[in-house]
Amino acid sequence: MSASPALMHGRVPRSQQSPMNPRARRPRPTAFGRGLPWILPALVLVIGMIYFSIGYTGWVSTLDWNGFILTPSEPVGWANYAAMLQDPIFWTAIEHTVIFFVVTFTVQTVVGFVFAAIMHSKVHLAPVYKVIIFIPTVLAPATMAPVFRLIFDANGTLNGVLDAVGLGALAQPWLANGTTAMIVVMLVTIWQWTGLTFILFYAAMSQIEPEVLEAARVDGAGAIRTLWSIVWPMCSGTTIALATLGVIGALKTFDVPYLVTKGGPNHATEFLGTYIYQVMVQEKHFGYAAAISVALLILAVAAGVLMSRRNRAGEES
Amino acid sequence: MFELRSRTSRITVQVLATLIVLPYLFPLVAMVQGSLAGEGLGNYAKVFATGVVPTYFMNSIIVASSTIALVYVCTMLAAFGFAKLRIAGKELWFWFLLLALTMPEAVLLTPLFVTASTFDIYNELIAVILPLAALQVPFTVLLARSFFAGIPTELMEAGIIDGANVMRVFWHIVLPLTRPIAGAIVVLTLINSWNAYLIPMLMLNDPSKQVVTLLPSFFTSQYTNDQTGVLAAAVITAVPVIAAYLLLQRSFERGLAAGALK
Repeated sequence: MSASPALMHGRVPRSQQSPMNPRARRPRPTAFGRGLPWILPALVLVIGMIYFSIGYTGWVSTLDWNGFILTPSEPVGWANYAAMLQDPIFWTAIEHTVIFFVVTFTVQTVVGFVFAAIMHSKVHLAPVYKVIIFIPTVLAPATMAPVFRLIFDANGTLNGVLDAVGLGALAQPWLANGTTAMIVVMLVTIWQWTGLTFILFYAAMSQIEPEVLEAARVDGAGAIRTLWSIVWPMCSGTTIALATLGVIGALKTFDVPYLVTKGGPNHATEFLGTYIYQVMVQEKHFGYAAAISVALLILAVAAGVLMSRRNRAGEES
Repeated sequence: MFELRSRTSRITVQVLATLIVLPYLFPLVAMVQGSLAGEGLGNYAKVFATGVVPTYFMNSIIVASSTIALVYVCTMLAAFGFAKLRIAGKELWFWFLLLALTMPEAVLLTPLFVTASTFDIYNELIAVILPLAALQVPFTVLLARSFFAGIPTELMEAGIIDGANVMRVFWHIVLPLTRPIAGAIVVLTLINSWNAYLIPMLMLNDPSKQVVTLLPSFFTSQYTNDQTGVLAAAVITAVPVIAAYLLLQRSFERGLAAGALK
């Protein structure tokens, strides 16, 4: 007899719970749990295209092959990699990538930072200026390449302008000389990406409390002093993010040198991307092109991992 | 934000701003001026007379919209999965995607070239859309995951209690909240797919299948040494992009900035 109310007692709350709680609790492990199908489309796309490509490129890099399915390929082991390490053009391309990164990153950062500060200072026509500096960011290098070839041509716009302002002595065939051709490639890149640098610094500066700047002014700091000692350090997160982007972008460089200078004259503007393209499409050395591609991939991933580590360390400190 | 008190400093800064902006304006002016040299608007007529301009634009629209659709669907599903659902080895899969983030296009060249010619999808737009989407997805998933993670899980639980399944919760509760990040993803993918050059150049040889970035070089191959026509072709391809940017200025700037910061 005494057992029955206990049983009842045990039962009642459970039956009271059942309409509410099992619904609230049970779906969590089941419905919230099966996430794999959700990430599957992205994984299939990335594995199917990118990881397949990496594997395939890795395999081709051990072959001597002209790229036609019907012609036999010859396995050569590490020979392509050995040849690559002996190849002066490969090393030139890497050197160009380093110079290109240092110069474009420095100039873009300085110009973008200064311009962002100016745009925060109530100048006339600011909205127009912002649009002008940002437009290059949305235009394709392929669209602008003919324009830059015209500007830097021996009989081009720039030499015309130099002549007109009495600096005719400086006029020269910009694209025919190795050093100036490299400068042109870097200028075009800077022209294209300063808008992005500017927008990011502009956004970062908007986060700075006006009181901080007011305090600096009260302490007698001038505009330049304030920029250098307060604003610049407070934007360091943005600077680091831009450096990461710049390193990877430098390794990926293809469109501008390919379209404006064809990697020339005499490999003076050769980058890894343009060199891979040339070896593959023009010389039909698929195995060798693949070996350089693998080297490029390793450099890009290493740069990405290194920079994101640096990034995280910077955020923590 | 930075107040300039004296008149001289205000003028100095105004002059400095103008000096910085002029070199950025110069190529755009040179482009328009060059395209009008000689026969003026006749240069544009010549480009349109090739008859390929509408085809190129149509192909670019197809490539861009398909890439956007593919990237959007893959990204939204994956970001939700990564942010809110339980997946065995989740972080491992995520790293797997992230490693593809720094992938230079050039690494895709060999396999794309060989597979496309083997399976005969050479000159098909899908041979451009799939690689472009695959190159974009790791980036957008990273971008969207942190956004999805910021959506309170309690909102989803409330939906589940009301009897909805995960699919409905995703569709009716989560997705409407993701508009800001969706805008950034669309703009980023639009610019990258519309401006893509290397992959279309490699995969599309047939002039009836080419995209706008190939228009200047098509014109060069048709009329050698006709600089003015090439520049007119460049202006024709640049104008819609600039117009889109001016109309959607905020979204473009936000989209590109979001893309850069992750």
